[in-house]
Amino acid sequence: MNFKEIAKRSETGPLTEAKDFLMKSVAANAMRLSKEYDITWDGKTLINLDDDMADRCFQAGRELFINTGVYSMNSSRVVKFSTSEVDDALRFTRSQVAMGQGKDQVCIHHRQVEDARKPFIFCGPFNANVHEDMFVKLNEAFSQEKIVDCLFFPGYLNEVDGQLIRPTSALASRAAILYGQWAREAVRRGGRPGMAIAGHAVMAPGEIACTNEATGLRSTDPRAMVLISELQVDDVTLTRTAYYLAYGCPIYMAFTPLIGGYGGGVPGSSVVAVASFIASIMLGGEIVHMGPQHMKYKQQTNLHSLFLASLANQAVARNSNIIATTSHTTSGRPGSAQYAYEFSALALTAVTSGSNVSGPRPAEPLGNNNVSPLMGKLFAEVAHAAAGMSRDKATPIVEALYAKYKDNLDLETAPKGQPFEELYDLETLTPTLEHQALYDQVKEELVNLGIPLL
Amino acid sequence: MADAERIYEMMKKSIETYDSDAAVAAAELAIAEGLDLLTAVEKGFANPIRELGEAFDRMEVFLPELTLGADAMKAGVAVLEKALNAKGGKLKSKGTVIVGTVEGDIHDIGKSVVATLLQANGYQVHDLGVDIPAPRIIEAAESHNADVIALSALLSTTMLYQRDVIELLKNKGLRDKYFILVGGAPVTQAWADEIGADGFAHDAFEAVLLLDSVKEGWGK
Ligand code: B12
Repeated sequence: MNFKEIAKRSETGPLTEAKDFLMKSVAANAMRLSKEYDITWDGKTLINLDDDMADRCFQAGRELFINTGVYSMNSSRVVKFSTSEVDDALRFTRSQVAMGQGKDQVCIHHRQVEDARKPFIFCGPFNANVHEDMFVKLNEAFSQEKIVDCLFFPGYLNEVDGQLIRPTSALASRAAILYGQWAREAVRRGGRPGMAIAGHAVMAPGEIACTNEATGLRSTDPRAMVLISELQVDDVTLTRTAYYLAYGCPIYMAFTPLIGGYGGGVPGSSVVAVASFIASIMLGGEIVHMGPQHMKYKQQTNLHSLFLASLANQAVARNSNIIATTSHTTSGRPGSAQYAYEFSALALTAVTSGSNVSGPRPAEPLGNNNVSPLMGKLFAEVAHAAAGMSRDKATPIVEALYAKYKDNLDLETAPKGQPFEELYDLETLTPTLEHQALYDQVKEELVNLGIPLL
Repeated sequence: MADAERIYEMMKKSIETYDSDAAVAAAELAIAEGLDLLTAVEKGFANPIRELGEAFDRMEVFLPELTLGADAMKAGVAVLEKALNAKGGKLKSKGTVIVGTVEGDIHDIGKSVVATLLQANGYQVHDLGVDIPAPRIIEAAESHNADVIALSALLSTTMLYQRDVIELLKNKGLRDKYFILVGGAPVTQAWADEIGADGFAHDAFEAVLLLDSVKEGWGK
């Protein structure tokens, strides 16, 4: 869909109150369609094996989206699309997108369920709070991991120049400029000057100031837009989309279906997730990221999220060319074995269900720099190992992993882990002996569970 | 009395089936039958909505059900309240609360849950929505003669605006009029103390308990 149409409809669509959109349009239709299409979950299954249900889930999500459209929050108008517009968009979705430059250029693909092709790896701080003083080093360490295809969301800056950033302030724009410069500098130092950087600096229109071909984020770097759950979009996001589309950046459109939220339980939220995938491409998205979030657990590796991630990804993989990627947020934090069990469980689920991967990150990072490039590497290795694996083979492994952490999902009591500066030697940018030992030990455990990590 | 129990049961059922029309009908019946209206509010609507809130906390029901249940309650209570007012009586509200997500922040779900549960527990709630600048929050508090200002912030950057609301209240000489409650994922007791808020709660339930425990003093 041409962006000028989106811009127009967000000013001229039917005027509606947000609550009516969410309750009467999204919630009511999601409930109805998940029943009509017989989308069910027994509360136990981890990975969906029912292809027909995946196909029905796609149809239900498509119908939901045609019913709801997208709500433009600031104008209070519904951006609606006709059935033929939706079907055309689905038919002409590109199934691959290139990013990065020179020898560092990479390409992401649409994947099939149980696809033998390796998933694309978005990996980095994933918007955990990163302190300005650690920004370059932390991202350099991520870029050194050759298995990472694209540096992912270099960090959420709380302050620059020692000053807390107020959103939409001049300081926020300055932060965006520094974000671009520091991220570019980091990959340059890591020996990958053309490495793609998936960027989302600050929540302000001034965010586009991170763009600079020489010193910042480039037209070949994917830019992230985030839809507002469920099926809503705000002016800041539309503004940034307009600019980045015109500038030629791959558009990385993200959404977070909230299980327990307006979509209801797992069946309704899975239908909402499919609708959100479609909304994402209608708004210009070329790579679509789903965060299978649970309202109560506030993270993405709980039982409900695992199943939703499998069902919604399979629906989209089997019935469209959409390039999907799944976000991974955990209760355990880097520096703990639980962190690895959790991201491995979701990665096996998502990758065998046809997704690429983005992550990992603790759902609730503690303080600044609470991420680990070495754990990112392990995450990527697990994701690669899941390529070509059947869902049948993955299921008992995911079960075993889930059993290891299921009683410790509470964010308050989950392992607190350590920040980057305690897990790495900052001079050599290599993991401490202890952190390396944790990696070796967990990797061996994962191999013993049946994950072919060579 | 059997009749009263039957009507409470109808009210309860209206909440459980998220049926605003049934709630209104039950409330009208209660009035026609001459029931004690304050008891009807408590037994017919308040207790069941509290149970619904607990079921939501356990994720046995979800946000749409909680919202619809709260809507049914509001519809029924509005009918009872009108009748009470006509008789010169007054529905006991525990207090008036202004709820909103601060400027620059569009996270709305946690804030809405807090608003719904406060309402379910007998507070008069005005939910301003999301991305609300400090002056508008204060304006609303003043015009609704509020007791409590509850500020939600989900981003560590927008937490600053919780501070700004308090600062602006101070500058206007209004700080002592309100109990200021802050919350949201990144918010902590330490932050609440630092900016001089009156209370902090981790979640909606805790928010209700906290306000219940401190409300002596601002009953109007
Ligand atoms: C869903 C979600 C979104 C949705 C919001 C949808 C919506 N309609 O609200 C979307 C996708 C739009 C979104 C956007 C963004 N988000 Co967001 N989001 C979340 C997420 C995953 C869950 C929030 C939620 O709804 N939880 C469910 C509710 C029920 O819980 P809750 O909000 O915590 O509320 C409870 C308590 O906190 C408390 N409470 C809440 N408010 C109040 C108020 C008072 C007075 C009291 C007493 C209590 C209280 O009671 C509530 C009920 O029990 C959190 C992750 C997390 N772990 O919380 C991130 C999170 C809040 N988001 C985050 C970020 C970074 C963003 C973005 C900047 C992302 C981006 N790069 O674009 C944007 C910001 C947009 C903006 N301008 O505000 C970060 C914040 C990090 C930080 N350092 O501040 C988080 C923590 C994720 C993370 N770890 O990175 N987000």
